[in-house]
Amino acid sequence: MSIINCLSKNSKGLFTLNTAVETVNLTKYFKGDGGKERIVAVDHVSLSIREGEFFGLLGPNGAGKTTLIKILCTLVIPDEGTARVAGFDVVKDAEKVREYIGWLHGETGGRALYWRLSARDNLRFYAYLQNIPKDVARKRIDALLEFFELDKDADRLVKDFSTGMKMRVMLARTLLSNAPILLMDEPTVGLDATGAIETRRLLQALCKELRKTIVFTTHNIFEAERLCDRIAVMNRGKIIAVDTPLRLSEITRKYRGVEVRFRGSSEEAVRILERLEFVKRIMSIQPEEDYTVIRAEVKDEEQALSEIPKAFSTNGLKTIGVQIALPSLEEVFLNLTGGEHESA
Amino acid sequence: MDLKVEDIVKYLAENIPRGGVGPFEKAVAFIIRDFKIWWTYKLWITLDILSSLTFVATYYFVSMIITPQALIEAGYAADFLTFSVIGISVQHYVFTSVSSLSDAIREEQWNGTMETILSSTTSFRVFLLGESAFRFIIGSYFLLASLGMGVLLGIRLVLNPTSILAVFVLTILLVASHMVIGVLGAAMILKLKQGDPIVWAFSWLTQLFSGVLYPLGLLPDWLKWVGNAFPLTYSLDGLRRCLMNGEGLDSPMIIGNTLKLILFIVVVLPFSLWFFKKSYDSTRREGALGQY
Amino acid sequence: MNQPEILQLFRVEEKRSKSSLRQLFAVVWAQLKMMLAYKSWLVMDLLSTLASVVMYYFVGLQVDPHQLSRSGWGTSYLAFSLVGVATSNYLWACLTRLSHSIQHEIRGGTLETIAVTPINMLMFFIGLTARGYLVSLIYLVGVFTVGVYGLGAKLSFTPQSLFVFIILFVLMLVSNQALGLVAAGIIMVYKRGDPLVFILAAVNEFLAGVLYPLELLKRFPALQVLSMLFPYTYALDGMRRVLILGASVFDVNVLTDILVLGVFSMLLVPLGLKMLGWGYDRIRREGTTSSY
Repeated sequence: MSIINCLSKNSKGLFTLNTAVETVNLTKYFKGDGGKERIVAVDHVSLSIREGEFFGLLGPNGAGKTTLIKILCTLVIPDEGTARVAGFDVVKDAEKVREYIGWLHGETGGRALYWRLSARDNLRFYAYLQNIPKDVARKRIDALLEFFELDKDADRLVKDFSTGMKMRVMLARTLLSNAPILLMDEPTVGLDATGAIETRRLLQALCKELRKTIVFTTHNIFEAERLCDRIAVMNRGKIIAVDTPLRLSEITRKYRGVEVRFRGSSEEAVRILERLEFVKRIMSIQPEEDYTVIRAEVKDEEQALSEIPKAFSTNGLKTIGVQIALPSLEEVFLNLTGGEHESA
Repeated sequence: MDLKVEDIVKYLAENIPRGGVGPFEKAVAFIIRDFKIWWTYKLWITLDILSSLTFVATYYFVSMIITPQALIEAGYAADFLTFSVIGISVQHYVFTSVSSLSDAIREEQWNGTMETILSSTTSFRVFLLGESAFRFIIGSYFLLASLGMGVLLGIRLVLNPTSILAVFVLTILLVASHMVIGVLGAAMILKLKQGDPIVWAFSWLTQLFSGVLYPLGLLPDWLKWVGNAFPLTYSLDGLRRCLMNGEGLDSPMIIGNTLKLILFIVVVLPFSLWFFKKSYDSTRREGALGQY
Repeated sequence: MNQPEILQLFRVEEKRSKSSLRQLFAVVWAQLKMMLAYKSWLVMDLLSTLASVVMYYFVGLQVDPHQLSRSGWGTSYLAFSLVGVATSNYLWACLTRLSHSIQHEIRGGTLETIAVTPINMLMFFIGLTARGYLVSLIYLVGVFTVGVYGLGAKLSFTPQSLFVFIILFVLMLVSNQALGLVAAGIIMVYKRGDPLVFILAAVNEFLAGVLYPLELLKRFPALQVLSMLFPYTYALDGMRRVLILGASVFDVNVLTDILVLGVFSMLLVPLGLKMLGWGYDRIRREGTTSSY
């Protein structure tokens, strides 16, 4: 059954035909350490994710991504606002919601499996819970085990697996039920490079060819940039921006940036740049083998290109090159979160 | 962060001479660490004390329907409550201490701390000594709680300088002989990675054959010899003779028990250290030290 | 297997059954499979339980038959203690197993992965208790077999007495499992309550008179009143009447026991379900479905 079918049966009120996930003012508070203080984990989040969309949640640790995902998969009950998944309210129709979602929590690093069961038995168990018919389950389990290169170890106990293997069992488990909406919390954590690439490709194919909706969280900017149709940038429980990766980079295109390569003390360089009135802020300092690259946001690129080498040389720094720099998503991100990503 | 990388490098560059910490201080470090962890489980401690209460109370009632005939024949004072409370609390003491050593090793393996500790400059002997000393120290509160509870419910302990001295000697031998058994169990755990059969077998075999709840005279003749293999049998007999009858180190029965315990330690200790070393080395060869 | 083939498998949408029983079966199946991974542990535990039966046989040799029969339970202490030892494992399983398993699932992170599947959580929780029941059944059968056939305890196992025994037994399970649900609901939220449930079970075991006739409690009215608050007391009384004294279902005392257990069940089951639901909701509200 496709989502479209189920929506035409169940859509009510505001819910539009093509929306897979919709939240309105979704808010969740947690008690702080002392029990008195209230921490806002998710702060009035309103989102609308279309069916078949590859949607990224990007943000530093503690931004509230995991809590948001857990609310969507009915594990956490929100305090304010509403969330609907596949047209069902996550609080009132939690059991209905669960029929349409697959969830993966990559951060657990393979903890969330039965270690005393084999990989195959783990998958079989979840197939039962998902009420997948036996023959279909068997076929899928074999196929997924083969795809994730686990077929040789399928009957070994999971406790003897490496982290990467456990992660692949978890991925197989999530995909097993063929859920139309996949909520993937850091799905590539713990995978090696090839495993991560294969997984990303599979997720993309599932999204493009089977019209699955994929909501996935990451703090890996490049991953988000490459995969997502749209990205929401989250910080301190709030959604700061939602847009396509391209448009998000364009946000900062109106900011002007330069990249300076030089030899000498980077502390000195920062001091000099901070004194120049056309430099708005320093974005990054990247030491290379025998020189350093500083990226800075400026008010006027032309002025920066001519003035910076002069200022450097009068202070004893040797400029190798200055050029205009296009902003990366990271800079967009830093811009939006006010630089907090660095400390995370 | 106020510290810069350069500062940290500077700290570490200072050369501090090693070797100031002796094995005893290391063992104490283990005990302090374990005590701190143990203290976070206050509820469990309360639980143990309360459960000692329920077992003493249970035998208080059981003793009401028991005739002391068999005790008198075995040469103990005619008091089943005292007899059973000493029996169970000592048996429980010994085996929670011994099995918690195996548990501790399993936990270290589980947490991955085992490899960290053994990769520091700590020999496995110190490691074992520290780990097991703590278990026996901390296990004794159950023993004391049960005996205290027993006193409240009317068990009669004969305490005079002679009997106290004998109890002291016997207790040291009791602990030492069972630390040896604990090391055997720990060696098995390193190798087998699961519930070690040695500690377990000792637990139920001694329940049956060491006379925890009944004098050994009640066993059929063909089973009586089994208890001779266990140091708990001698310890219990000795402790009961001191605490129930007021016998001291001059009593031939006590002397016999003491000698048998010393013999056990002298014979089995080298073997169990050798066995531990062997399984420790072979586990390292397999690279399976941190596995579980 | 490459991507297009995988995708092909997912293109076909299958009909799903809505059977909760199938899910319940899955949970029980997984539990048993995991239990079998601990085979040696199971065998060891069973052996030591059987050893304890033998131990009570020897304790029984010291019991004064007149004292026992004066409280109305025949002259065989072995038969008397056997009924208690055989069923008290179930008491522990009912009271402690579920809350323990839930905590285990929370720590392992598996509670969350199960909670996002379309399983009815009550089914899952019920399935979790299966393991404890099965292990206890093995104990029950083992203890009765060793006691009756090995050591000659005289218990009346007729079709009639078994029928009444089963009625009492089922009521004992229902009422105590309901108490276990209450405990599980509370412990799910507060995480560190395990010891409290253990102490509840230990006190319950003591007050129900597993090892001594309850008539002896008469000297302590407070304890006697307390013992009347636990369903296990009535279950044990009834089961002993049936198996030791050969009472029928029409015996007034047995009928009273059945009636009281029925009332306990009717009160406790709704309460238990409510507390379990409360606990599960609460941890989802606090976001602690995977922390401890």
